[in-house]
Amino acid sequence: MVLRHAHKKVGNKSLSSDRADQAPGRADDASTTGQTSEEQGVEHHDAGGAGQSRVRPRSSQSGGYDDSAERFIANHPDDAFIGASGVLFEQAMAQTRMAVCLCDPHAPDAPIVFVNRAFRWLTGYEESDIIGRNCRFLQGPGTDRDAVARIRHAVDHEDVVVVELLNYRKDGTAFWNALHLGPIYDAQGRLIYYFGSQWDVSDVRAARADERHARELARELSHRMKNMFAVIGGIVNFTGRSHGIESEAREINDRIQALGRAYETTLDEASSGSIEVGQAIRSVLSPYDPEGRRIRFKGNGLRSDFSAVSVLGLSLHELAVNAAKHGALSHDDGRVTVAWQKNGSSDAPTIVIDWIEEGGPAVMPDASEAQAPAGSIVDRMLQMARGNIMRDWHPDGLRARLRVPLREDAV
Amino acid sequence: MAHAACSGKGCRVLVLDDEPLILLDLEFAVEDAGCVPLTALELSEALAIAEGESIVAAILDVSLSHGQTCAPVAKALAERGVPYVLHTGDLDRMDEAVRNLGGVLVPKPTPAAVVVSRALEGIAHCQQA
Repeated sequence: MVLRHAHKKVGNKSLSSDRADQAPGRADDASTTGQTSEEQGVEHHDAGGAGQSRVRPRSSQSGGYDDSAERFIANHPDDAFIGASGVLFEQAMAQTRMAVCLCDPHAPDAPIVFVNRAFRWLTGYEESDIIGRNCRFLQGPGTDRDAVARIRHAVDHEDVVVVELLNYRKDGTAFWNALHLGPIYDAQGRLIYYFGSQWDVSDVRAARADERHARELARELSHRMKNMFAVIGGIVNFTGRSHGIESEAREINDRIQALGRAYETTLDEASSGSIEVGQAIRSVLSPYDPEGRRIRFKGNGLRSDFSAVSVLGLSLHELAVNAAKHGALSHDDGRVTVAWQKNGSSDAPTIVIDWIEEGGPAVMPDASEAQAPAGSIVDRMLQMARGNIMRDWHPDGLRARLRVPLREDAV
Repeated sequence: MAHAACSGKGCRVLVLDDEPLILLDLEFAVEDAGCVPLTALELSEALAIAEGESIVAAILDVSLSHGQTCAPVAKALAERGVPYVLHTGDLDRMDEAVRNLGGVLVPKPTPAAVVVSRALEGIAHCQQA
């Protein structure tokens, strides 16, 4: 906003021709001359020793009228903003919570010639501390030199740049400054100022770091959980082996590993407390279709709370085992379609999963009874979850419909 | 399904995992497949086997304790032309490292018998020619 008004400014600024041709001042680079390094050294000393911290709480930024823009205009009569532009400039400067400064690129070392109140509150410096100094006085030991170099490059090329860099307040505390810097031209297209807007993004950066940490934690957890399931699998296997019951052990292990796969997908979003049903289904069934050709998945991003994982995962595992032994997955041409959706009334929502086998061996109604005895483990599990399974034996394969109550309150 | 490729007796297979119980499970599975397991619980043991023994295939856990990975073993095996599978529960984090290692990826957990059959897939005849 401010910039646009500044652009419209009809300037009478009397730039002498030699000044106009002069290269823009270097607004930011502490290492260019010995003099500036020394100056920076003094800043740190001040910041550490003075003990006169005057950082005002940011919550009080709404109080009082900031007349710094008026005073700036009074002191720079040649730069007078005319009419509405001037009023808008003053009001915008007074009211914005964005810290703003203007630097004079034609004066030696490009000093700051204007700052608004938000700038003073952000940095803790008084106006008299700031005016006449180069912006680099906000830098300190933790300031990334690459960020400073990018600022320097933008200034040298009269570019606009947005850089996040570590700056320091008068009391020595550091903050992450999202600095937006660019040239301002007069009506004749001559460079007259550099503006800089500063925004404290320390909180944003802390949140980003927290998020990264949480992601790393989730990955570590995922790794450990997979390892744990692998260890459990190992124990079941060699226990079965030592008792001569390898096939029983394998059946137990297959179920445990199916459970592991179902849980594994929940970890990435562990904090959300809910799981994406489709991901768990795909993961459980993946070993039965290593090439991804025979099982078709149809569903949207249906979510459920965590408790549905175990029963759904194990039920689908059992259906897949049966299909691989007797059903569609026992034939090369066989296919299975798994579709999931939300159904039921709004006060009793249900997860409905359709399991449709096609292209398998012809189903004998008599044999089908034997394949799915009433009270099979799938029926028992689903009943325990207050759900059920309906089986329909078509000539080309089993069609089953599983239902379990959908609990979404955790979402 | 474990008794896939290796019908020849006495083929030696290197198995590396820093978790003893997983290692035990894999050892049994290699025996079940008719081969001779040479087990390593840590990187140095695995390197000694890879460099000193005649082996036909290897199963390598990717992330080992103390921040080590199986990369040095994989490299030694690759130089000798020995095929290996990378057995890892850490695909998310190891992505880059694992990709650079080559070899067949077998995510953890996978039943030991399947891991072994994947490891032996590449060697149709290991009757010690």
